[in-house]
Amino acid sequence: MPTFNKYVQIEDKPSMVPAGLEKAITAAAAKDTRIIAVLEDMGFPGMLWFKQNYPERMIECGIAEQNAAVMAAGLAAEGFIPIINSFLFADVGRAYNQIRQSILVDRFNVKFIGREGAWGEPGISHNTIEGIGSTRPLPNLVILNPADAVEAEKAAEAMLQYVGPVLLRQESSPPPIKIFSDDLPFDIGKAFSLKEGRDATIIATGYMLTEAVRALDILEKDGLNVGLLDMCTLKPLDDEAIIKAAEKTGAIVTAENGTVIGGLGDGVAAVLAENLPTPMVKIGIEDEFSQSGKMSPKDELKEHFGLRPEDIAVSVKECIAKKEKLSKKRK
Amino acid sequence: MAHHEKLIKDLEKKADQIRRDCFEIFGSTQMGHAGGTMSIIELITALYFHHMKFDPKNVDWPERDRLVLSKAHCCEAIYAALVELGVYPRKTLGTYYCFGSPFQGHADRWCTPGIDYSGGSLGQGLSFAIGMALAEKMKSVVKDVNIGQGGFLQRYVVRFDPLYRSYCILGDGECHEGMVWEAAMFAAKYKLDNLIAIIDYNKFSLDGPTNEIMNVEPLVEKWKSFGWWVTEVDGHDFRQILDALELASKLYGDYRPKCIIAHTIKGHGIPAWEREHIHLGRGAVIMKGIEEGRKKYADI
Repeated sequence: MPTFNKYVQIEDKPSMVPAGLEKAITAAAAKDTRIIAVLEDMGFPGMLWFKQNYPERMIECGIAEQNAAVMAAGLAAEGFIPIINSFLFADVGRAYNQIRQSILVDRFNVKFIGREGAWGEPGISHNTIEGIGSTRPLPNLVILNPADAVEAEKAAEAMLQYVGPVLLRQESSPPPIKIFSDDLPFDIGKAFSLKEGRDATIIATGYMLTEAVRALDILEKDGLNVGLLDMCTLKPLDDEAIIKAAEKTGAIVTAENGTVIGGLGDGVAAVLAENLPTPMVKIGIEDEFSQSGKMSPKDELKEHFGLRPEDIAVSVKECIAKKEKLSKKRK
Repeated sequence: MAHHEKLIKDLEKKADQIRRDCFEIFGSTQMGHAGGTMSIIELITALYFHHMKFDPKNVDWPERDRLVLSKAHCCEAIYAALVELGVYPRKTLGTYYCFGSPFQGHADRWCTPGIDYSGGSLGQGLSFAIGMALAEKMKSVVKDVNIGQGGFLQRYVVRFDPLYRSYCILGDGECHEGMVWEAAMFAAKYKLDNLIAIIDYNKFSLDGPTNEIMNVEPLVEKWKSFGWWVTEVDGHDFRQILDALELASKLYGDYRPKCIIAHTIKGHGIPAWEREHIHLGRGAVIMKGIEEGRKKYADI
């Protein structure tokens, strides 16, 4: 097993993002009466708690996401902190222009939790993959994408403390494993280095951090020293950490549970292209929609999209080969 | 309700002045949403110069009435009102459309203090006004520590008057937008009787007659069936406008959001603009209208 940063406490047991969100949101809402749960008939983290304790702070909008987004902007304009929860294609995708016009233009303090990712039974309609790519160009929006329950709790806390619009992406994925210790420090806009490397660095976000941790085992057995950087904040990207990793290892592999177009990989590539051109491989969903797929006993989608630890290990080796080829050319 | 003749006369004079200010705005760029602006002049005048709680010296006053101009392309009328109220100096009128000006092409709350809503993408304002109206109700709850189960819906009726009211002006063409009706359902569900929507029913949108493009009728029955209190007025007659606004305000406590359908004329008062049902005018047609308007509404 590779040696990790002291805040990493890997345990091979499920560590669910919704549990972390619920913990943070209910704790914050118990203290801060400005926090309002805005529902779109799609549940809410801590719904039962709100129902029992603060029913008047639960605003049910029904399946009408456009009204919900702009109504929440009105609440935020008056000092409240509305949190909207649904599938990302609905609360963000369906209300994309409403969010742009009525929330981001004026930087209203509205929080979105959007569920999306390539995995799941619902299929092409619900397992969307374009959430990161479609929201990153929007000014004034912070995008968070936590990897396990601990990071989800910290990210949700930070989201509620930050004044301004935030999208927290809750991934549809197999259960992530517990990665972080409970005292994990968290700052919006700061990447977290789980492990420094020599041969290459994997920059992963959300669920793919679980797969990347597993990939490190394989790579270590093959005698490679690979670093791992957790990019929970997808906007603003931590340029400094990306450049530092590229300087150190000279080969960058990105891994995300989403389309490779406009997502984490493209963001990292843009930073490196402008600052320190570095050989890269992007792991994610190629230009196609997802579909239904069972996660057990065999994860059909993981295999189809090439998101298994062994796939990551192959990509890392491919990236290292690119690096070596380039250094030979330069000599 | 009988209104003092002097009040009506004063408002009419004020409306003429707002029109003249609008001519200055349009003239500075030879461009503007002249038709829809002229159709809401009386509504804006009645709200800013008589009906709404608004303090020009403290535009962020927490208890001010909120005004959401959902048809935000007609913000010229509000710019003129803000200048008349002394919030902005007169010379600002000439900076419309200019880089860095508080008078942007579409209303922008961020750079124009005194404006409550940044609009332009149509159909969204009513939902925003609803959020503000709901916040008014919720603020009374948050102040009260323990009101127990049942929430704010039972509580607020005992109050004589809301902290503030939320007004929203929509265009008739905007009612084509689906989310207007999402908002209509929502406002009725949450019993937002502190919300007053005003529809500027000028019968024309960009491509032609509103109801030929997509029929919004029967408009009164639509709003009624969604659970709203509805009334119709001549949107250029101050007596009727004030009556409706006062009645809608007095009915606070009846659990119903209010809708005033104001029948108006696109480009009202300016023959060149009325004839063409002008939407966004440029160049000659704007200048012709300004010339006619300056004569008709000369300051005497």
